[in-house]
Amino acid sequence: MELLSKLGIDVRLLIAQIVNFLILLLILWKFAYKPVLKMLNDRTKKIEKGLKDSEEASKKLEEITEKEKEVLVKARKEAQEIIKKSEGEAKKNAENIIVEAKEQNVKMIEEAKKSIEQEKVKMLTEVKSEIAGLVVSATEKIIAEKMDSEKDKDLINRAIK
Amino acid sequence: MEISIAAEPLFHIGSFPVTNTLVVAVFITLIVLIASLILKNNLKKVPRGFQNIVEYVMEAFLNLTDSITQNRKQTEKFFPIVMTIFIFVILSNWVELMPGLGTIGIRENLHGKEILIPFLRSSSADLNVTIALALVSVFSVQFMGIATIGVVKYAKKFFISPFHKPYFIGTFVGILEIVGEVSRIISYAFRLFGNIFAGEVLLIVMLNLVPYIVPLPFLFLEMFVGFVQALVFSMLTIVFLKIGTMEAEH
Repeated sequence: MELLSKLGIDVRLLIAQIVNFLILLLILWKFAYKPVLKMLNDRTKKIEKGLKDSEEASKKLEEITEKEKEVLVKARKEAQEIIKKSEGEAKKNAENIIVEAKEQNVKMIEEAKKSIEQEKVKMLTEVKSEIAGLVVSATEKIIAEKMDSEKDKDLINRAIK
Repeated sequence: MEISIAAEPLFHIGSFPVTNTLVVAVFITLIVLIASLILKNNLKKVPRGFQNIVEYVMEAFLNLTDSITQNRKQTEKFFPIVMTIFIFVILSNWVELMPGLGTIGIRENLHGKEILIPFLRSSSADLNVTIALALVSVFSVQFMGIATIGVVKYAKKFFISPFHKPYFIGTFVGILEIVGEVSRIISYAFRLFGNIFAGEVLLIVMLNLVPYIVPLPFLFLEMFVGFVQALVFSMLTIVFLKIGTMEAEH
């Protein structure tokens, strides 16, 4: 006991100091730790949420850009296909037209040839018959001699040939 | 120059001696009360100035506690007591750095000799304070241990039946644990008291020998010692809290 008092240990003071410390603890708990901890936690949550949101937003943006790209590529492909198709069709059309025109040409030429031939034949026969008549009348006039018309004609025909 | 191990009573209320360390402790409490009230009323989502410092210190301590407990929930349970110990100890340690240490006081006649009783005395340089802190720390360990793992399991750490596996060795270890808990109070109290009291004596002696410049390095040293002791006290409390809330392994 004497040692304790020599060291200045006094139970009353000890209790007073403990009470003082507990009061300090209470004060700090109530006015400092609780509000500050709450604020820290709130802030942490808020920042976490913000980060998450921004991540999501950037992800979405990326997705959208990708989609955009895809759509563009698709559109370009389609346009090219359309152009190719129309080109092909146009070529085919042109060929068709050319072929038809050629065919028509050939046909027309043939027809013209045919009609020329016909005309020629017709003309020849006409010329022949006319010449025969002329000859007959001429000979008749020249000779003035009647012959058997049958015989006559026969004779002339042989002469023309 | 008179240096007494015991804190000197400034005056008496009835038979209750009001020592200078008690006055300092109450003073610290008042300052902390005012500071925390200011803090609480000015809490903002975006921290500024004082709030920044408080948040920084608290965050650092939370992380420190986290690194020992590995459990955020437990950290938040331990945090108030540990942080309060740190704040109180560091503030009372740094009281010795204030000007007026050992010089400003009242002269009193004691046993026919006139001695100076200083107003300022670091409250950690009083065994009453350090033992009080040690008691709070050790009892909070017991309390937290019982609250976390239950009375029976907690008691099993200290009272081990001699009829089971490690037999008398286990019982002996249990007794050693009890001795350890008690001796922890003494080691806590005397470590802090010894460091700060020695620092105070050193500073008073230095100030009396060479009043200018020479005491400066010792002031810095004492500042460092005060911080380290506060950190040691609170760190040990965290560690013992963690150990106390763990179940005994068999």
